[in-house]
Amino acid sequence: MPGLRIFVYLIVVLMLLPVLITFPVALTAVSRISFPPVGLSPRWFLAILGDSALLNAIVRSFWLAIVSALVAIAIALPCAFVVQRGRFPGRNLIETWITSPRMIPQIVLALALLAYFESVRLAESFLGLVIAHLVIIIPFAFRTLLVSVATMDRRLEWSSDVLGATPTQTFIRVMVPQLKTGLIAAFIFAFILSFNNVTLALFLSGFGQRTLPVEMFQRMNVAGMTPVIPAISFVLAMIGVVLFVILDRTVGVYRFLAGRD
Amino acid sequence: MPDASGAARRAENFVRSHPTLAALLLLLPLFLLMIAFFVAPLLQLLNLSMLAQQPTAQNPAPPHTVATYARILGDSFYLQVTGNSILVGFCTTVTTLLVAYPVAYYITRISGWERTLISVACLLPLFVNVIVGILGWYILLLPNGVIQQVLAALGLVDGPLQWLRTLPALVAVLTYEHIPFAVLILVSSLQAIPLDKINAARLLGASVPRIVFTLILPLTMPGLVASAILVFSLSASSYLAPMLISAQRIRVLPPMIFSYGTELLNWPLAAALAFVLLVVVVAITYAFSALMNRLSNRGRWEMV
Repeated sequence: MPGLRIFVYLIVVLMLLPVLITFPVALTAVSRISFPPVGLSPRWFLAILGDSALLNAIVRSFWLAIVSALVAIAIALPCAFVVQRGRFPGRNLIETWITSPRMIPQIVLALALLAYFESVRLAESFLGLVIAHLVIIIPFAFRTLLVSVATMDRRLEWSSDVLGATPTQTFIRVMVPQLKTGLIAAFIFAFILSFNNVTLALFLSGFGQRTLPVEMFQRMNVAGMTPVIPAISFVLAMIGVVLFVILDRTVGVYRFLAGRD
Repeated sequence: MPDASGAARRAENFVRSHPTLAALLLLLPLFLLMIAFFVAPLLQLLNLSMLAQQPTAQNPAPPHTVATYARILGDSFYLQVTGNSILVGFCTTVTTLLVAYPVAYYITRISGWERTLISVACLLPLFVNVIVGILGWYILLLPNGVIQQVLAALGLVDGPLQWLRTLPALVAVLTYEHIPFAVLILVSSLQAIPLDKINAARLLGASVPRIVFTLILPLTMPGLVASAILVFSLSASSYLAPMLISAQRIRVLPPMIFSYGTELLNWPLAAALAFVLLVVVVAITYAFSALMNRLSNRGRWEMV
């Protein structure tokens, strides 16, 4: 299939090119976007460290993603157990209900929350952002954890129980080790979804507290963009590649993302 | 930890004696979150879309009306914008599937470093912020940008061309954004085809196109339908690429919703447009999946 192979590699180049192009563009010595770069200098990579608005946005996005991902897992894990192990009618209905936020265009949800947060006094607050992110990332964390719970061996729990372990011991020593990869996968997945989200944050983050994607968007869209944006883009892309390789080597990307169906 | 384990033991007994109640308790946090921050905001938005005017401090409860919807449906401008959204979603879905299907097929036929390389390339937009990809495309597509320089060096194009702000550019960037979703679904769908079926067809002397069209395509139809639905609903409602690549030159619903909602502060109109988008996306994806179900039921005999 030489034709197919050429086609696939053409697509690979087209998929990598927009990410890789940010590197030479960021290496320019002048303050406008151009290719090929005018002169070579690392000044725009160093400029990230001196840009307090950008650094604040990075820190805010990071905490937002950590908190959202942890809370999402804490809420979604019990639900995954109930849906996977419960023996009662309406389980499918509950599953559909939990994953339903995925069916709504995010921009609709963002507008709804914008208006709603005004009336419940969560407008432009960090808590509001966390809640909004929870609504959209819980369905994905739930699906990943559901797969993980389904592959657990219940006989191990029964043995542990018969051998006299307390429920707490059984949970920590028998269940958590089996869930470990699923928990890591769900955490990374939720973290990425939250860290990369633009639409919700664009509507909901206040003027002085933009998240990183919103800060980047605003500079690209409104203010004149300097090569500091391609520089931070390239850094983000490299972090993305590292996360990808870690996931692929530990859980396997296809298995791990299969939970999103 | 006598107390903790005692509490855990009591919890265990409680779960044993009241399984349904325990299940409900475990679902409760998510239930409350969904009611308070998913159902309630959407209902409020629906209510907002039927108000005669923006609520203000002087007039907190304007009368209800369907005039906003009537205005949208009666105005050729808004219908044009809605049509553009559908068109952009449709074109993106078609190009995404045309690219992702062969790539997914190729991924299932290889292993080792080649598989990792192609997977990284095709799934990267999931791991890296969308903004990064859009910025890259923006630089690539600029007049006299990288692609035009290469093509000019080959003597294929001449002079700076305005590619940004066009429909093909917008569709290309949206395709880039959504290829990972389609590849993921299609890879798992293609991997589920039992190899002995393909081998049997090959042994019986079927040609490659025949195997593809009568065996592989029908067996992966559910995956194709699922990815088409996902890609359509995501791309028809995407906001960033229309803002940054076509810069409102091709008017679609999401930037309009944003600008009425946050800049012009006309919430009733923004809310009504949001519901138009929601209904259009849900109706089209639902109709499409119903149609494909009927078609594949009719073709079931061939698949047994």
